[in-house]
Amino acid sequence: MVSLEDLSGLQTRAEADLAEASTVDAVDAISSALLGQGSPIAEARRGLRDVDPDERRELGRAISEIAEAIEAVVDERRDVLAAIERAEHLAADRVDMTLPGRRPQRGSSHLVRQVWEEVVDIFTAIGYTVASGPEVETAYYNFDALNTPPTHPARLESDTLYVEYGDDPEGVLLRTQTSPVQARWMESHDPPVYIVSPGRVYRRDAVDATHTPVFHQMEGLAVDDNITFADLKGTLAYFIEQFFGPGARQRFLPNFFPFTEPSAEMHTSCHVCGGSGCRTCGGTGWIELLGCGVVDPFVLETAGYDPSQVSGFAFGVGIDRLAMIRYDVPELRYFFDADMRVLEQYR
Amino acid sequence: MKASLRWILEYVELPTRDPEELGEVLSNLGVEVEGIETIETQFTGVVVAKVLDVNPHPNADKVRVATLDAGGDPIEVVCGAWNFEAGATVAYATVGAMLPGGFEVGAKEIRGVVSPGMICSEVELGLGDESDGILVLEDGYADAGTEFASTLPYPDAVFDVSITPNRPDAMSIHGIARDLGAFFDLPVTVPETSFDEDGSSNAVVRIEAPDRCTRFTAREVKDVTVAPAPLWLRLRLRDAGVRPISNVVDVSNYVMLEFGQPLHAFDLDRITDETIVVRLAEDGEKLTTLDEVERTLTADDLVIAGVDEPLGLAGIMGGGDSEVSDTTTRVLIEVAHFEPTRVLMSGKRHALRTEAVARFERGVDPELPPVASARAAMLTAMLGEGRVVGGFVDEHPRPPEPVIVDLPDHEAERLLGVEIAVDQQVGYLTRLGFGVDGTNPMRVTVPTYRPDVTRPADLVEEIARIHGYNEIPSRLVIGRGGGLNEQQRAVRAVRSIMAGAGFYEIMSFDFLGLAEIQSLRLDEDDPRLDPVRIRNPLNEEQEYLRTTLLPGLLAGLRRSTQRNRPNAALFEMGSVFLRGDASLPDQPEHLAFAATGARSESPLDAAGDYSVEDALGTVEVLLGSLGIDATIKQRSVAGLHPGRSGSVMTDGTEIGVVGELDPDVSDSWDLNGRVIVGEFDLALLAPGPPVPFVVPSPYPPVVFDLAFDLPNKAATADLLAAVEATAGGDLERIVVFDVFRGGPLAVDRKSVAVRLTMRSAERTLSDEEVAPVLSRIAERVSDELGGSLRGG
Ligand SMILES: [Zn+2]
Repeated sequence: MVSLEDLSGLQTRAEADLAEASTVDAVDAISSALLGQGSPIAEARRGLRDVDPDERRELGRAISEIAEAIEAVVDERRDVLAAIERAEHLAADRVDMTLPGRRPQRGSSHLVRQVWEEVVDIFTAIGYTVASGPEVETAYYNFDALNTPPTHPARLESDTLYVEYGDDPEGVLLRTQTSPVQARWMESHDPPVYIVSPGRVYRRDAVDATHTPVFHQMEGLAVDDNITFADLKGTLAYFIEQFFGPGARQRFLPNFFPFTEPSAEMHTSCHVCGGSGCRTCGGTGWIELLGCGVVDPFVLETAGYDPSQVSGFAFGVGIDRLAMIRYDVPELRYFFDADMRVLEQYR
Repeated sequence: MKASLRWILEYVELPTRDPEELGEVLSNLGVEVEGIETIETQFTGVVVAKVLDVNPHPNADKVRVATLDAGGDPIEVVCGAWNFEAGATVAYATVGAMLPGGFEVGAKEIRGVVSPGMICSEVELGLGDESDGILVLEDGYADAGTEFASTLPYPDAVFDVSITPNRPDAMSIHGIARDLGAFFDLPVTVPETSFDEDGSSNAVVRIEAPDRCTRFTAREVKDVTVAPAPLWLRLRLRDAGVRPISNVVDVSNYVMLEFGQPLHAFDLDRITDETIVVRLAEDGEKLTTLDEVERTLTADDLVIAGVDEPLGLAGIMGGGDSEVSDTTTRVLIEVAHFEPTRVLMSGKRHALRTEAVARFERGVDPELPPVASARAAMLTAMLGEGRVVGGFVDEHPRPPEPVIVDLPDHEAERLLGVEIAVDQQVGYLTRLGFGVDGTNPMRVTVPTYRPDVTRPADLVEEIARIHGYNEIPSRLVIGRGGGLNEQQRAVRAVRSIMAGAGFYEIMSFDFLGLAEIQSLRLDEDDPRLDPVRIRNPLNEEQEYLRTTLLPGLLAGLRRSTQRNRPNAALFEMGSVFLRGDASLPDQPEHLAFAATGARSESPLDAAGDYSVEDALGTVEVLLGSLGIDATIKQRSVAGLHPGRSGSVMTDGTEIGVVGELDPDVSDSWDLNGRVIVGEFDLALLAPGPPVPFVVPSPYPPVVFDLAFDLPNKAATADLLAAVEATAGGDLERIVVFDVFRGGPLAVDRKSVAVRLTMRSAERTLSDEEVAPVLSRIAERVSDELGGSLRGG
């Protein structure tokens, strides 16, 4: 039979033991020794059976009070030690956060392709459809249908890559522009026409800073009732604003292309210096960006349209050139060079 | 072309002489100014002097002492040049004169004789390249003592203009003046062409190819003294970028620059029978042109010939034999009109881009030859002190019909989007030299110097040029369609999946050399070994069109490795070109990828090198993301590792191949490690149809593992198919978790262990329910694959 006095000494003992304990495990052991099975408290509780019922309640309450008091100090000590142990554990788990991380693999789409998709998106947003056509093309679609007669210098072997296919040595070629797509589209669609045709084009140029035998172009074509040069200007101004940001000015200078009349070359104010002159614009404040014009009546007629009823505009812009200008890429050849040091820059 | 502002001003009194402002005007007229050069006199203190006397130097043989009248008392200077005598007019740099390069002239003692100042050469004054002798001015150049700088045409501004192919009229100073005159609405004068004639010429011209030479004029000037041209002419040519040669030759160049009409001066005494024949060359005929190149002609070349031999390549370049020389006294001035395109083709064929070609190829005004001829005759007679001979020859077999175009009054507005009053339109056209009758339509007669204008749209461009392109309003028109179609969206999806899977997109040329395609160890009858050839390739490496994207990717991996970046994962999307039945080659768009080296740039990742599992995983991610249900069929793909390659199949169709490159192919591309590759036909990578949503089951699964003892050659795909086919609708997931050989297994056997997750959508499955499924699976695997359940 454990006396109440013995029990009250337990609390003192518990406090002393707990003060010694340095781990949560040690606290648990002390707790178990004082409160668990076979502990003085447990024994005292068991002894209550033999106590006179009158005293039992009071004695029981006293035992509980002591037990609770012990539990309280045990819990208090456990919390303290648990916090310390948690801190130690996490400290041991520390990682040098400045080490390189374990990266999911990443790649990128090509810079020219990013620009390609961006310019396409600018035009699909204002109601244009994307048209494409073959890269190995007939001379008819690449030249004849576009008012470029057989004697035109662009058709010379020094400028155009001809392909050995079929009987006519000058009948099949690598397209020199994406305009044949327009000719094909008009042949199979009635007006209204609002298309852009991005794609690969080819010229017989050796590689230098601004030439490669393969490059990328996007041409746009609108044919409808009442399409005018004014619509061309507004559309290109919208395009430039979307691509280079607001504030760019444009100027249109008369020029010559076989498939447009009137024809123009569009210059845009330099996005780097804003027009005051810098290296990007060669000090002129202007960047020669693209050729454009009102669709030549011959082209409309060849497509089976009535040039007195419908009119149109067309423009062609170098996608690689847009990328070179915006990203300040000094030479075209970088775009065709699978150099990881280059490719990694394409975010 | 270079156009001097002072020269332009000789024909039109412009309201401004500010070069920048005029440059802007020219560009806005379509005469694009690419640069403006300012030319200024680079010396001071130089005066015109008359040589009174020339005497030997008392102490030296190589120099002389000249007495000069420089406007004051006679001055004695020492001079080392011998190209002058008493009476010559020279440029004398006084003491204190500043010459180009900051050189100050002083009084210098030369062998005991003090020389106050010096007589200057062209080079010393920055006026030319001639350093042999001093600059001798023409007699009566200016009074002695005149400030020499004040006699020179400087300062001047020279525009560097780029003329579009449709503007033959702008290929001349007078033509540019004419455009400016039209813009400013000012009169433009025509150069003077008056002279007296003496006698009658015997020269004969015969045109044998009238479709190539529609006009040929000839005019004789006799008693000519060939000598250097006067300074003003030499400077004018120099500033236009043309080298001065002699008075006669310089006059033809001057008139060409002035009118845009090329012309040629022959030594008439060197032309047999004084007869000129314009004919096609004979195939193989030889001609040594002025640049001293012997050229072999073809029947497509037009020649100006004597009765026997060709004298020059018509419209392109003269020949040396009939050229004007120092001894020439009788000059025949040839001014002709040639069919533009053929001149261009001929010039291209002989790689001759002369000033004449640049003009003829655009189409020179057919009415110009008599005018240019008269101008050249007048100047030749004047500068060569000769006399123009009568009997002007003007063979004109095909006079052009006048071009008349009807222009409706609203056509300009219909095409330009800006209203321009009819009288304003008439004004613009009239100022440009067009004749206009009536108002609707305007009946417009095109001047002969504008062969490019034949239709209303061409006239609208002329109206727009003068009205100003930048005066046309700006208006955004919205289209009627928009958006990408399904195929276009799919292509973008493929690209973004590949980039997301760690591959970098490249763009390579579509060309390859035969050696590259042959290096791929393809089967002999593989159509990719028979690429389409480019007829005029740039070089051997770019002779054929690619039939597969792999060479471009392998070249990329090789270059990357050579640049010390041996870990690379690349992909490309683009056309390949294969022979087909249609009039154009088949041009399917492909996707291909290739990777080699470590999967991660960070060695800390210990990610290992790319191997075939990565190729398979890439394909799984690609097809999975697109929703394409495909399987891999193991087979030895030519060019790939025979044991590590296969076809990607959907519904029994091969949509691509995947695997590791054949090690020998890798070797031939200088790639040392394993190279993974895959190539697909993009059109076959169309996303699958929408898949209905599966509601996740709320019930717990039954998970169990099965290990099979299988023949080595058994395909895991077949095992999985057998399991799936047997397990029934409650099979939620099946994962291969262990594969091994050896150990307890027979030599030709392997163990493949799979973990099955079974789950019902309706209730909790019990182990008892699943047990019979297991035995059915075991039975089927045994039947179909010769496998047995291990430990079961
Ligand atoms: Zn700038």
